[in-house]
Amino acid sequence: MVNYGGDEVAALVVDIGSSSLRAGYAGDDTPKAIVPTAFGFIEEHVSSNGDVAMGEEGAPPPEGEQPQAVKPKVKLFIGQNGPSLWRSGMEVGNPMHDGLVQNYDSVPPLINHAFNEMMRVNPAEHPVLVTEAPWNTPANRERMAEIMFEEFQVPAFYIANTGVLNAFAAGKGSALVIDVGQSTASVTPVVDGFVLRKGLAHCALPQLVHAHAKHLLTTPAGNRPAIDLTPHQLIASKMPVDVNAPPKFQLREDRIAGTTATWRAWAEAREVDEWIQSVARVLPQGWNEQAAVMQGPRHYEFPNGFNGVFTGVEYCAVGEQYFTHSPQLVASNPNLPKTIPALIASSIQACDPDLRQVLMGNVVVTGGGSAFPGFVDRLTAELHRNFPVVKVHAPGNPTERRYGGWLGGSILASLGTFHQLWISREEWQEHGKAIVGQRCK
Amino acid sequence: MAASAADVRSILSIPNPPASNSGSGAQQAKKPPATERAKKPEGIPRELYALIGPSAPTLAAQFAKPRLKQKPNLGGGGRVKWEWRPFKNGARSDGLRLSHWVKASVDPESDYPFAKYNIQPPHYVYSQDEYNRLLEDPKWTKEETDYLFELVRQYDARFYVVHDRYEFPSPEGSSRTLEDLKDRYFSVCRKLVRNRPWPGDEASKAALLSSLAFDKDREVMRKQYVISLETRTPEQIAEEDALYLELEKLKENERRFKKERDELLRTLLGIESGLPDIPVEEDGLQGLSTDTKKKKKGVAGSVEPQTPITPSASASNAMPPPQPKKTAKSAAYDALHCIHRYSDAQTSSSSKAPHSPVHLRSTKIPQLKQATAQRIAQVLNEVGVVHNRLVMPTRDNIARLEAVIHDAGIVVEKKKTLDKLDQDIATMKARLAALRGEATEEDAGSVPQTPMEVEEGPDESVVDGRAQSVLSTKSARGRKQTRRSMSISSVDTSAGPNKRQKR
Repeated sequence: MVNYGGDEVAALVVDIGSSSLRAGYAGDDTPKAIVPTAFGFIEEHVSSNGDVAMGEEGAPPPEGEQPQAVKPKVKLFIGQNGPSLWRSGMEVGNPMHDGLVQNYDSVPPLINHAFNEMMRVNPAEHPVLVTEAPWNTPANRERMAEIMFEEFQVPAFYIANTGVLNAFAAGKGSALVIDVGQSTASVTPVVDGFVLRKGLAHCALPQLVHAHAKHLLTTPAGNRPAIDLTPHQLIASKMPVDVNAPPKFQLREDRIAGTTATWRAWAEAREVDEWIQSVARVLPQGWNEQAAVMQGPRHYEFPNGFNGVFTGVEYCAVGEQYFTHSPQLVASNPNLPKTIPALIASSIQACDPDLRQVLMGNVVVTGGGSAFPGFVDRLTAELHRNFPVVKVHAPGNPTERRYGGWLGGSILASLGTFHQLWISREEWQEHGKAIVGQRCK
Repeated sequence: MAASAADVRSILSIPNPPASNSGSGAQQAKKPPATERAKKPEGIPRELYALIGPSAPTLAAQFAKPRLKQKPNLGGGGRVKWEWRPFKNGARSDGLRLSHWVKASVDPESDYPFAKYNIQPPHYVYSQDEYNRLLEDPKWTKEETDYLFELVRQYDARFYVVHDRYEFPSPEGSSRTLEDLKDRYFSVCRKLVRNRPWPGDEASKAALLSSLAFDKDREVMRKQYVISLETRTPEQIAEEDALYLELEKLKENERRFKKERDELLRTLLGIESGLPDIPVEEDGLQGLSTDTKKKKKGVAGSVEPQTPITPSASASNAMPPPQPKKTAKSAAYDALHCIHRYSDAQTSSSSKAPHSPVHLRSTKIPQLKQATAQRIAQVLNEVGVVHNRLVMPTRDNIARLEAVIHDAGIVVEKKKTLDKLDQDIATMKARLAALRGEATEEDAGSVPQTPMEVEEGPDESVVDGRAQSVLSTKSARGRKQTRRSMSISSVDTSAGPNKRQKR
């Protein structure tokens, strides 16, 4: 028991990201519950006691719910069957923005769904470790502690930084963590388990890549018309057509009226993401038109039956956005998010010269966005071009890559020496919110 | 087959119930076997035992289950009981009770095993009085020093983190560097240790003080070096590498030159040179010759103690190893069967292996050494010898070719030495002339920079080269003090002066 330092107290670990919320038991290697962070909701203008109903089953709200009498009754649809099922008048919301929780109203139902509906566990019996982005604000983390203690009645709570946890998941105390998520890319220097805040750099680069891909699909090019991204939920029937031919399909006219703009945007974003995941890639050795052509054309069919062929230059240019911006794009948009090499350079520049060697020798690549085909090879090539000694750690296992933050939390919360750091209920009641900042450095 | 109640009873080994009608003689008669059945030996089917009864003990052994070797008890048999038990963590100040699985045998009152890792590093505290007396610094206020010490305590003296989180509003608007923080912290600690009564001995105090030592200027300079090392351009790095290689080459040349000079001195002066003897090469022939030399010395030592020791090579020439005796009979046999027997010396000099397997003679054609192969090939070409393809690689031919190549090697070697010395002489002459103040055009013109040519026959140049080398080494000894400085300039012999000019 003492040999590997583990002592499991059946803690729960919750990692909230822009695309999904991960929850599970500390000590496991995979989260038990993975819930999409986006949720559907229907506002019903009925004056009632302001209950927040959970899912379609209408599960009872967690105890200690704050009274929201002023707000209209909102029916939430969370989980696998949440936003992806079309419902008349359903809007889609996401509590996360810029890697931080912006809207705390929907966070308790999300966590509750993961704990009660999926894991079927009573959080009042387990200490809970929650993750936060390295640039999280003190007010935000205190609010999270409040939710956990007051709404979920947890016996103990801790909030840990995803940068540190990703380094721990890679087995490193000091590392340069490059985390590419769905909405945000960040570079975090971690030294001895502490984030160096001065070296922290993050930007909304993945959103730019997404926008670039969407622009590519929805503008006509060559022999290809502009692509209609109508999701499959709105299509009644379709006919097979030739490559690049206009699609023949029937819309579900009955659903058009009830479709909201937010749901439509969410569904179209998902179509773009799926196209990116199956077609787009990045060249491993820098932009080279010849090499891009050599990649060969790739075929993809959209939900409305349109099927197009995309050339190597087209789909490699999408991934290229992670590493270089074209001069005209830079000229037209002054607030362009920094590229990954620029983020790394600015982060390293802000660190002590003695640390640079250490950090570049322990580069940890994590996050679902880094699973972009060719991303790690390209990053390694870029780093080797600029730094003499570079060692990149990028787990090949997709679970470890995508849920590195959760995995690090799972490791941390199952360590025997960690149990002295929990903020207990007693301490919360005694010291109040200040204890969070004191304990979780 | 219908089972009777008695069968059921016997299967379940229940004793027969007392007969309801005790008058029945048959029931009474059955009783003794029922008691016998209770002692039924292991391994005999019940029905069979009922048939044969206890009267067949010899069969019992055969129906017993075969007994295998007893399984070893590896100590894993005992079940360990685990309990989900709440525990109290000694490292916590509050009463949080988490639960974990522990062996039931563990004492519930024992300390939490991980609490012992909660070690607080030593932390220095000072009073207002101490601060006023010792720790005043014009650049630091007491508040800022307090803030620094609090941060250092919080982050366990991880100064990188302390520096990162350091957010004290500095009066002059300039932020503190990492070295500023370290310097202040360590200087305060040193002053506190020095001025407080020390309970231990002086050595431990000195050790503590040295562990608290911090030289700010040196650290700043070191960090500047690190930065300048990192900001090198690729061209600078390449240049640095090239310079390093150059330096290594020069060092190597220096070493080689020194070795050659020592060897030369030893050859010329023998023991009077005062140099240590040449290390004996590990060769069978050499070992043999040194042995004979010692023997000879042991005999002749009393007669002629003052004679300088001759170099080992000449000793081996003077004392050839004893040849194995040839009887007349075996000689005749060999001649009849065309068997050639080689002396041990020859075989041992060519290879160390005591036995050489059957081989084609053509595989033994000597190869040129890589370093001088080109030059030797050039010399051989000019003589008109095709060295890489022997038409008839017999033993004699190979030996001859070997000798030719060896000679050619000597020629090249001598030529090289000669060129070097020629250049030395020319340089010295030029210097001499410069010293005299009459730098004439003729001297400069007598050293044309033409590449080496080998036009003469090998024999001629060998004789010539030998004579020249001995001559010039003697002269070299005379100018020993100047040679060292010239060793670098005379490295490149390929561009040496033409030999004909010398003659």
